[in-house]
Amino acid sequence: MKNMTILIVDDDPVVRKMLEKRLEKAGYEVLIAEDGYQAEKILTQQHVDVVLTDLMMPGTIGGIEVLEIAKKLNSSIEVILITAHSSVDTAVAAMKKGAADYLEKPINFDELFLRLEKIANVQSLLRNAMDISEAMDTTESVASETIQNLEIRTAELQGRLNTLEDILRDEKIDSYDRIYKALDLLEKFK
Amino acid sequence: MLKISPEELKLVAQYIYDVSGIYLDQSKSYLFETRLGAIAAEHGCNTYKELYQKAKTDPSKIFERKIIDAISTNETLFFRDKGPFELLQHKLLPEMIDARTPNSPNLKTNIKIWSAASSTGQELYSIAIIIKELLPNSSKYSVQLLGTDISDGAVAQASRGKYNKFEMERGLPGDKLQRYFTMFGDSWTIKDEIRAMVQFKKFNLMMPFTGLGKFDIIFCRNVAIYFTLPDRQKLFNKIADSLADDGYLIIGSTESLTGICPRFIPKRHLRSIFYQKTK
Repeated sequence: MKNMTILIVDDDPVVRKMLEKRLEKAGYEVLIAEDGYQAEKILTQQHVDVVLTDLMMPGTIGGIEVLEIAKKLNSSIEVILITAHSSVDTAVAAMKKGAADYLEKPINFDELFLRLEKIANVQSLLRNAMDISEAMDTTESVASETIQNLEIRTAELQGRLNTLEDILRDEKIDSYDRIYKALDLLEKFK
Repeated sequence: MLKISPEELKLVAQYIYDVSGIYLDQSKSYLFETRLGAIAAEHGCNTYKELYQKAKTDPSKIFERKIIDAISTNETLFFRDKGPFELLQHKLLPEMIDARTPNSPNLKTNIKIWSAASSTGQELYSIAIIIKELLPNSSKYSVQLLGTDISDGAVAQASRGKYNKFEMERGLPGDKLQRYFTMFGDSWTIKDEIRAMVQFKKFNLMMPFTGLGKFDIIFCRNVAIYFTLPDRQKLFNKIADSLADDGYLIIGSTESLTGICPRFIPKRHLRSIFYQKTK
């Protein structure tokens, strides 16, 4: 069981079935959409890690629109476009819009699995990095509370020491009185 | 990855200290290797000594720039820890505006703010966003926002104001993201109205602060931690010289000035601390 959910979007039932079978066999969780509309519905309702979508589909929601919808819903969803050789230029333009990659038809499954593994690796690194920054945030917030309390406390103590010094150095007052005054002050600090 | 020898470690650490003031622990040889190995490889250096010699003798300073970019840490976020920004919005800015508002209505209120280690710009843009929201009638105010950093790469990215999704993910509330950024593909660019408020330039905090002028508010967060104790003392002394007598200093939330600069006194506001000069 691989820890990734893949949404397949293709209007060709043969391609859909083939992709579904191969990806399930490889251990991925697979969701299926027959067109862009179904894809949009699934994306808003379920968690998806990767969208594998045909570039050219009938209707107003094509592969590019699926890409835009997915990225808008959750920018960490990765999208791979499947394209005919003739539409490579469009696929490259899609990469600029945030697609992770594109595959040319007919699909080479070794290539597809390599891309998916790469995405899985990046996502696991990303999760790891987020865990680390979460841990860092926690450590930082606890440490900062301690440090700030100490900082204020030190400043207060320094202020008292300064007052004590002023009293003890005050030559207008008799030295015994200075000591009593200083002791009075220390008493107040307790 | 190219391995670094103890002798090279000493040489390179001293070089980095000389050009940037950043003090790197020599026990962390992996840090040198992971950060400088790629530069050595890219320029066909077979040893770190070779890289060091190239960097030292290169009149164009390209190596020096690359090494500084690689060594300086650019971990920063928009509104990184909320504390300082809430402090700025609810206390420091309103008080500073009161203090700086001239008696004559024809005169502008001038305020200068400096982000002393601005990295890739998120801190200064966060400050700019707060000011934009706090002072809608901008014609009455002249707020100068300066960001400086030792890394050319960081300064260039800050000036572009373009961030990828990883740099955007944490810290920035959704409404601010929509209002102040334009999305293109996987990246976000700060809108011109905010970018026009700020200025970034390269500056080494180890150098004398001549020509910078006086500031009303200085942010110097999480940079002194990379310096030695004597260098921290010198740095905060220079900051005290560059801060208006009633100005405010904000340092990193886990940093302390105890034993570093007696010219500053800490003050608490809610859950945050800021510093003012002692009278």
